[in-house]
Amino acid sequence: MTFSRREFLKTASIALGAATLPSWCYGAHAATTAFIDVNKDSLADAALATAKKLGASYADIRINRYRIQAVSTRERQVQSVASGQNFGFGVRVLVNGTWGFAASPLVTADEVQRVTTEAINIAKANSAFQRKKIELVPTPKVVTSWKSSFEKDPFDVPVEEKTQFLLKLNEGALAVKGVSFVSSSMAWVNEQKYLATSDGSRIEQYLIRGNPSFTVTAIDRSTNDFQSVNTPREGQAIGYEYMAKHDWNAEAVEAAEHAVMKLKAKSIEPGKYDLVLHPSHLFLTIHESVGHPTELDRALLWEANYAGTSFLTPEKTGKLQFGSKIVNFIADRTQPLGLATVGYDDESVPGQKWHLVKDGVFVDWQTTRDLAPLVGKKSSYGCLHADSWGSVPFPRMPNVSLEPAKENVTQDDLIAGVDNGILIKGRGSYSIDQQRYNFQFGGQTFWEIKRGKVVGMLRDVAYQSRTTDFWGACDGLGGPATYEVPGSFNDGKGEPGQSNAVSHGCPVARFRQINVLNTASTPAAGQMEDDH
Amino acid sequence: MLLNESDARALTEKILSFVTATDAAVSVGSDKLSHLRFAGNNFLTSGTRVGRSASITVWIDGKRGSSSTNDTDDESLKIMVEQAEKIARNSPIDREYLPTLGKHNYKPTSGYVESTANLSLAERAKNISDILAEMEKNKVIGAGFHSARVQAGGSATKNGNFEFERSTNVSLSVTSRTPDGQSSGYFLRSHYDIGKLDTKRIARESIRKALEGVNARTIDPGVYTVILEPQAVADLLGNLGFTFNARNADEGRSVYSAPGGKTRLGEKIFDERISIYSDPWHPELPGSQSAQGGLPAQKIHLVRNGLLENLVYTRFWAKQKEKQPTPGPVNTIFVASGPTSTIEDMIKSTTRGILVSRFWYIRGTDQRTASVTGLTRDGVWLIENGKIAYPVKNFRFNQSITQMLAPGNVEMIGASERVGGSEGGGSNASLLPALKLKAFNFTSQSEAV
Repeated sequence: MTFSRREFLKTASIALGAATLPSWCYGAHAATTAFIDVNKDSLADAALATAKKLGASYADIRINRYRIQAVSTRERQVQSVASGQNFGFGVRVLVNGTWGFAASPLVTADEVQRVTTEAINIAKANSAFQRKKIELVPTPKVVTSWKSSFEKDPFDVPVEEKTQFLLKLNEGALAVKGVSFVSSSMAWVNEQKYLATSDGSRIEQYLIRGNPSFTVTAIDRSTNDFQSVNTPREGQAIGYEYMAKHDWNAEAVEAAEHAVMKLKAKSIEPGKYDLVLHPSHLFLTIHESVGHPTELDRALLWEANYAGTSFLTPEKTGKLQFGSKIVNFIADRTQPLGLATVGYDDESVPGQKWHLVKDGVFVDWQTTRDLAPLVGKKSSYGCLHADSWGSVPFPRMPNVSLEPAKENVTQDDLIAGVDNGILIKGRGSYSIDQQRYNFQFGGQTFWEIKRGKVVGMLRDVAYQSRTTDFWGACDGLGGPATYEVPGSFNDGKGEPGQSNAVSHGCPVARFRQINVLNTASTPAAGQMEDDH
Repeated sequence: MLLNESDARALTEKILSFVTATDAAVSVGSDKLSHLRFAGNNFLTSGTRVGRSASITVWIDGKRGSSSTNDTDDESLKIMVEQAEKIARNSPIDREYLPTLGKHNYKPTSGYVESTANLSLAERAKNISDILAEMEKNKVIGAGFHSARVQAGGSATKNGNFEFERSTNVSLSVTSRTPDGQSSGYFLRSHYDIGKLDTKRIARESIRKALEGVNARTIDPGVYTVILEPQAVADLLGNLGFTFNARNADEGRSVYSAPGGKTRLGEKIFDERISIYSDPWHPELPGSQSAQGGLPAQKIHLVRNGLLENLVYTRFWAKQKEKQPTPGPVNTIFVASGPTSTIEDMIKSTTRGILVSRFWYIRGTDQRTASVTGLTRDGVWLIENGKIAYPVKNFRFNQSITQMLAPGNVEMIGASERVGGSEGGGSNASLLPALKLKAFNFTSQSEAV
């Protein structure tokens, strides 16, 4: 389940702390941040020894530091500039086949002892009533460090450069006649993670990701109508070079023109249409209809009380026709720019790449060390993740991406094969049921296709389908040149709820005869067949 | 590690002593979260987390900067202040700046109970095990989540204001599924007092719904009369009290905007039996003592007898519009004026309609009409001739919230009870009633269970 950027920015003001960092972290931030030099290996040794002594068959400790800088503006003013950091540790233990976890922001030897003992006590209290023991598949011991790929550390870029960037972007959009409001923001996140496990692994990781965005609104006060268009780009695992890689100002001006156009655009006539879905839109459909149902914890009812289960079940592996034969989905924790790309997961399993759907057939799952044995697997695909030192790590989605066509198929090529259809761009409203059958998606801009050509703009569009019907209706994929890697910064799952960042690379794609509805028309009271 | 009032006062004073900026607002917080998750009739994950935080916003010559930390030693707090001041010096003028509040008096609320803050691990494990035993006895597969949280924190300004408050919340949600995967039931409740959380009722209702949902039939989507249980109302309307934003309405981008640059204040938008208000001191649903901008919270009506009585003005927007800033909302209380009806009354009065337990994955589709889409989940039944006829499969709906609550569409209203939206897991409860609505728009079928 994904959350909006606004929801994320409201809660993203996380707190400051410090760790002993890998050497490549130190130099860059020492000027602005206090570093409390904790000896992580020594603390880890103490935690793991205590856990073992008190009866844990497996234990791990994560000592993590998170930093965020968020800038938000509207029109010609800066709304907020906030910087925050958050440091602490969490200990996870497995006792008598039962998990226990405890966490604290006080990273001291005494607190590590207390917290480890508390985690053990929790596991023991629950294990007295445990019905079925949790077991782990093994993973090789690893001692290493890993850094995500970026060129320009966003935390080294002065705040004024960021605010000026956004204010200039706003100015360009406001210059478009008919535009009433524009808001823009950028959030940058840095995770500095240390993991030690009772298997002997010691791993340090340093990750950067960014999420710039804007929204332009046009209002017609005479008719009390308003329409918005958001950024066509999403968050990525990238440094501040992201801001130079694209012409954000031109994109904001285009969004402004489209917001004004949308006020006068033709409202969609509900019915069946062929859809051509741009990557800026399609990634979220992939996330909801492919990413989530292939999570093994959902299929095994672990998420039954919250996010839901899955229409996929273990006996369907290798058998179920998920989509048409041209559809291939890859799970990939190594994908460049991918928000879920890591060196290792939160239980020391390396980032990997594997097929979930091959030639249209559902073939495999997302797994962790405690899920893998439940479907007879000998190793994990490395999908364990916690969003904080204070959160219990649990199964989270890797980047799940749709392979492009091998041939050089363009968006225009796909449109040329459509007689009556809609081209949809951008992330709009999204909703899907708890087993991932029935979904409904809106977008940002909608373009009417007639006889192979885009002829004008539409509005009030949402499409509704069923996952396997929808992917079965996919009859055209764009080539590598149309491939993009958009992602969601805030994918919610689990109890207590956690937020994960994940990407879904995809080309433009075409779907035949999908049900489209008009979101502006709701039947009025009295339009019922029966009354009481 | 939990802050008491003197800790919070000392900490905020210390942070303010580091400030060189012309104005500043600081806050400090602490919390402890204790949780247990179960699934497949088995304990899954369980843990505790203690947390603390400090944050500051400063203004230097009208320029603003913010910073936060979870390290509260002197050096880290100094660095936090320096960082905020550095950001402020390098930022443009904050055009919405208003001086921080001077000393105000706050009337404390009552949402803290010691036994919730210090729950027993052994008792919780036994309670959950008893629930699992009940599941096994009824041959259903159970999943659920028990969570207890205590929070304590304070805030202060350079202009002399200070306030401290603490609160507790405990919640339990339980899902029961039949082994064939063809029926599912869910029940969630929360309270600030662990002694008032009826865990047995939560398990019993979840199991009952699963057992009464077997052999669900497929019926066509369409416009139906619906009876929404309080959980379904919470899923749809749990945050309704927080949507009455005056600025959005004034700017023409809200369902409360009117043509010609006006708002719909004073209009009868809702059924005349509906009132929606916020009350910080409600005994069943205590809210925060401080409202937006740190203003001392007060009881305020947003909707009274169907009439849009108040929109929420921030301090800045109130000044722009020459109004008073709104001291709320801090909670959502939705009540009927006049007699209320039970769900049984509602069923008896229905010739043909749908009873809905819960909604899921609700997202906005059109802000102009407050329209949303989402799905039913964990229990839907067809009502015929005053009785439940049989369970039916889930639906997707597309529905305008204001149209749903408009005069002419609300047939019966229940007594309000404390219930939280299921997407929030009970962390934010409201007081909400069951509703019987004349028309509700189900647009497609979902085979999900």
